[in-house]
Amino acid sequence: MARKAARLIVALALGAFAFAACAREADLKTPRTPWHQLSREQQRALAPVAPDWDRMPGYQQQRLMGAARQYPNMAPVQKERFEERVRDWSQMTPDQRKAARETFQGLRKLPPERQHELRERWLREHGGEAAGAPRGPTTPEYSRPPR
Amino acid sequence: MNEQEFAAKLKPWLDRAAQGVGEMQATKLKAARLRALDAYQEPVRLYGLVPTAAGTAQAIHYGIVQRALLWLPIAALLATLAIQSMGDIDDTGDIDAQLLSQELPPDAFLDQDFRSWLAKPHG
Repeated sequence: MARKAARLIVALALGAFAFAACAREADLKTPRTPWHQLSREQQRALAPVAPDWDRMPGYQQQRLMGAARQYPNMAPVQKERFEERVRDWSQMTPDQRKAARETFQGLRKLPPERQHELRERWLREHGGEAAGAPRGPTTPEYSRPPR
Repeated sequence: MNEQEFAAKLKPWLDRAAQGVGEMQATKLKAARLRALDAYQEPVRLYGLVPTAAGTAQAIHYGIVQRALLWLPIAALLATLAIQSMGDIDDTGDIDAQLLSQELPPDAFLDQDFRSWLAKPHG
């Protein structure tokens, strides 16, 4: 009985690992979405990456489309930042984007005052706001704990 | 005829036959019986279903139901993983939207100095 239970647990664990591997494999096989199938709002938000769109892998297109869904809810300064940065973002490697997300989520876990302090420190040491990206009000909604 | 009636009818025949068994044969039969008892396993109770000895058709029926119930938690696990992986792309899109529209440029989050500040305790 114990041996059967152990075999079942091992089978479940292997199944979970296999599924995770398949999920990553499926990520790479995500079908592409042609530019003309995007909504007008998505095309507006993703206009900077339009020249590269058809060459992007499907999973990257899906993530950008997910990001573009938030665009209509952004404040004007946030929209401007998004448009300025999305092209460089899409040209980073997947590992770079993953690392950046992890660091960003690490920042969001900190208390709001500490987040502000670190942001200000980085901006001071790198000559104020990065070129082309305007300053704007702090965004308290990003002080929420991550999901 | 049920099992008990059958056993009651068979017993006298077996008793008569047992009286005619020699000592050597009896020892061998006893050893074989003990080996059989060692190899015997209790029937497994699975979700309250115990296979009966009533007949082949019933045994098959319980086997299929038991197998289906055994696969239920595995199917639930796989379904949960599938739903979670579908949600991951949406969550990543939200994170990317916030990352690209907040004050710091994406490069900041790749900066080693910045990452080391994050790791340091406040003070």
